[in-house]
Amino acid sequence: MADVGNITGKKSVKKPSKKSRNKTHKDNNITNELSNDNDDLIQQAADSDLEDDALGQDWSEIAKLNKKNAQLIIPKRGEKDYEPDGTNIQELLLYRAREAMFDALSNSARGGIVKNEVKAVYIPNKHSALVLNPKGTFLQTMGNVDNDDNFWLNFNEFLYLAERGTVIPYCLKLTSTSTDKLYEDDNLLPLGIEDIYAFFKTQHEMDQFSVFAHLKRLGFVVNRISAKDTTYYSNLKQNFLKSATHSVFKQITSLFISQKTNMFNALFYNPLHFKFIKYTSTPQIYRKLKHLIPHAWVPKNLYQLQDSKREFINQKSKGNFLELTYNVWKPQTNYKKKNTNLPDYQVLVYNKNDNKQHFPTNDDLKHIFASLNYKFEFLDEVDDEFEWDKHSYINGVSRSVVLKQTQKKKTNLSKPNIQSKPVKNQSKKFRPPSTTSHAKQMRRLKNGYRSFLLAVMDNGIISFLKISEADLGSEDVWYVPTTQSKIKKTQYQYKKRQSPKSNTTTDGTGKLV
Amino acid sequence: MVKHNARSNNVRYKYPLPIHPVDTTSLPHLILQNPLSWIHWSYKYYKLVCNSTNLCDRINVEITGGDIYPHVMVEDAQGMTYLWENGFFGTGTLSRSEPTWFNRTDKLVNGTEGWGQDSQLEKITRNRRLERSEFKKLREKLENELLILRQQSNGDESLEKISEVVLKQREQLRAFKASQEQNHGDEGDNTVNDLEFDEQMFDDEGNLLPLESLELMPVEATFLTFALPVLNITPTQLFQRVLTPTPTYETIHNFIIQYASYHHYRSHGWCVRSGIKFGCDYLLYKRGPPFQHAEFCITVMDNDSPRDDYTWYSRISRVIGGAKKTWILSYVSRTTSKEQIMKWWEKEQYHKVFHAYEVNEIIYKRWVPGKNRD
Repeated sequence: MADVGNITGKKSVKKPSKKSRNKTHKDNNITNELSNDNDDLIQQAADSDLEDDALGQDWSEIAKLNKKNAQLIIPKRGEKDYEPDGTNIQELLLYRAREAMFDALSNSARGGIVKNEVKAVYIPNKHSALVLNPKGTFLQTMGNVDNDDNFWLNFNEFLYLAERGTVIPYCLKLTSTSTDKLYEDDNLLPLGIEDIYAFFKTQHEMDQFSVFAHLKRLGFVVNRISAKDTTYYSNLKQNFLKSATHSVFKQITSLFISQKTNMFNALFYNPLHFKFIKYTSTPQIYRKLKHLIPHAWVPKNLYQLQDSKREFINQKSKGNFLELTYNVWKPQTNYKKKNTNLPDYQVLVYNKNDNKQHFPTNDDLKHIFASLNYKFEFLDEVDDEFEWDKHSYINGVSRSVVLKQTQKKKTNLSKPNIQSKPVKNQSKKFRPPSTTSHAKQMRRLKNGYRSFLLAVMDNGIISFLKISEADLGSEDVWYVPTTQSKIKKTQYQYKKRQSPKSNTTTDGTGKLV
Repeated sequence: MVKHNARSNNVRYKYPLPIHPVDTTSLPHLILQNPLSWIHWSYKYYKLVCNSTNLCDRINVEITGGDIYPHVMVEDAQGMTYLWENGFFGTGTLSRSEPTWFNRTDKLVNGTEGWGQDSQLEKITRNRRLERSEFKKLREKLENELLILRQQSNGDESLEKISEVVLKQREQLRAFKASQEQNHGDEGDNTVNDLEFDEQMFDDEGNLLPLESLELMPVEATFLTFALPVLNITPTQLFQRVLTPTPTYETIHNFIIQYASYHHYRSHGWCVRSGIKFGCDYLLYKRGPPFQHAEFCITVMDNDSPRDDYTWYSRISRVIGGAKKTWILSYVSRTTSKEQIMKWWEKEQYHKVFHAYEVNEIIYKRWVPGKNRD
């Protein structure tokens, strides 16, 4: 079995694929039938690198039609006509567009190389697939190796890769009994894509796969959420006594505070209140008005996040809430399967037509927000230099430490890892410097805080929502009128600074004369 | 046009709330060692306090309509302008939002300068519609020309010719739009005379009658009686007319959560107005409609009966997204028992009632994977 860490050679995989110009128009099932004597048959595309190449070829075919451009340029989408106008010109344009598409499809190389074939065997009782000779770029983001050095794809990954033709799906024959030669060709039965779909256990699982495949095809890295994930939350041990006293203390103080505000409110909302008490500025009135409606507390920095997480862990296992499904990373080159960084998004899959499921209620939302474990983007807003590696933990150890350790091992074993550093610098976002406090406040109000993605499934159509925690209750936007005296004062100071000697002559402001 | 009004708007809408603070800056200097200045100061202070808030003469409201659809109306002209200028409360029944009907019509009748400065909003809407229809006419004309050209042609040369024509047409349309925008300011729209006047609009001496009144949403009226008492009605009287004379928890629940949400946003400085035009409950303006577009749309969510219809969410979110606003779901949850609420309600301790409701908010946004890849 090949080790995951050693799969580096992009180019070594690429080269043979370019040489393959043998065209076969056989589809998956036919190749599967013939695959018993697989030595002289050309298989489906063996890895995702080849697919990238194929993508380029497709477009070049189209670009060639446009004879002015010899270079490979992805053609711009043409403008759509509003309706059929019955002209020959429109027919001609339509015909050409259609031809370009068919040309592109028919001229692209199909099939793969036998040597590069990757077999994956579905094992029913584990509901995942064993990869016999793992190789290809998909290893960087998918699958995992167990203690016996077996490489496993979970069911989503298995079906996704089989659909793309990256792995060739098999299952074991029922009659096969011998344990030592279990994965020999004689014992394997090829599977079609339809067969794999039949292995789905529930509709929900299939929905989840659809979302998985959709995001994967767009280049995102998608993994199922598990307890072993990297977390922003450092403290694994629980101090129950401390948290208990903390919560009791909190309850008492909140009782006291609510009593106090009730008294204040009783005074303020007395109809005669404004007869006796005068305010000298509008914000004073606003501040009194604010006490009436309490609003939920929203964590805004790392410490508050950890507090809320602690509280959540203590309260856990109350009721039956919706659980998040996937971690999602934006397309990236420095993804590390073993020591992942925190994901960019977390996704919940919801089927709108399933009576057993429901749109997240307020309680669900609170639960989901508390269980979130991703790269909270609003912390970046607060602090431009925020380093997530220092603040995310793998088994209780900071990720930056883990990375250093693994890098040391690597440098001992082979060449130093040159790639990782420049990539890091590139990934730093550019931020426009020094925005006004108003603009910052607006950004906070509009973006909110913790957030997750809800993938809504409706008969095969997926729509994504981003649901974020908002906090309009801790931002004040009232207008503070500039009083006359302030304007006068600043004018006066300005004049004074300009001409310190002639201040007796300035009679614009009455008091001076 | 907008800039011209900016300063006058700043003066006109100086106060964001109908109860004004005492302007201490206009007080004379208090000189401690001079008792005479004390007297002068206290006199000035007394005068200030009396004038500052119109507490002596509260604004009169009429509640018209039957039991099912009560309307809270302000009918006297002074009260209408006061409520509009100090916090943008209510909507004129014959105007877009600010009650401008009387001024508009009076000027029209007397023939002075057509549409006055006070009625900018209605004028803007009207002009915009005219411009848009002109633009559409031109576009249709050009499209027809193009169609004829396409019908006549076949082959590659004509394809190139057509794309040239398309480019030219686009240029022409763009230029037309730009010229329209330039003409915005100096179009003195005096020609509008298509209003027909009814005799009932005038009194015996031929003066225009003030037919317009200002309608307040029940939550606005509550804010103006319970929180900042400027209307001449007590909260209890209001609730009895607007809700029901014999309240049960079910009949007042919906109103309470609506008001809790309204008060929450008002008290943090937002100008809150009805959001019915965007399919939501409230719109939040920073300062007010003349200053900025509304940035947020609020839908009040009842925590006791959660909504489970994704189609509903999707619909509203599309409408609001189309207007480039942010949709906020404002969940209002009760923190005490229904019985307790009813006890307080019957004792008229409304501040305790509202204090027992908590607001938490989420932002709901469409997310497109393809646009969030990096």
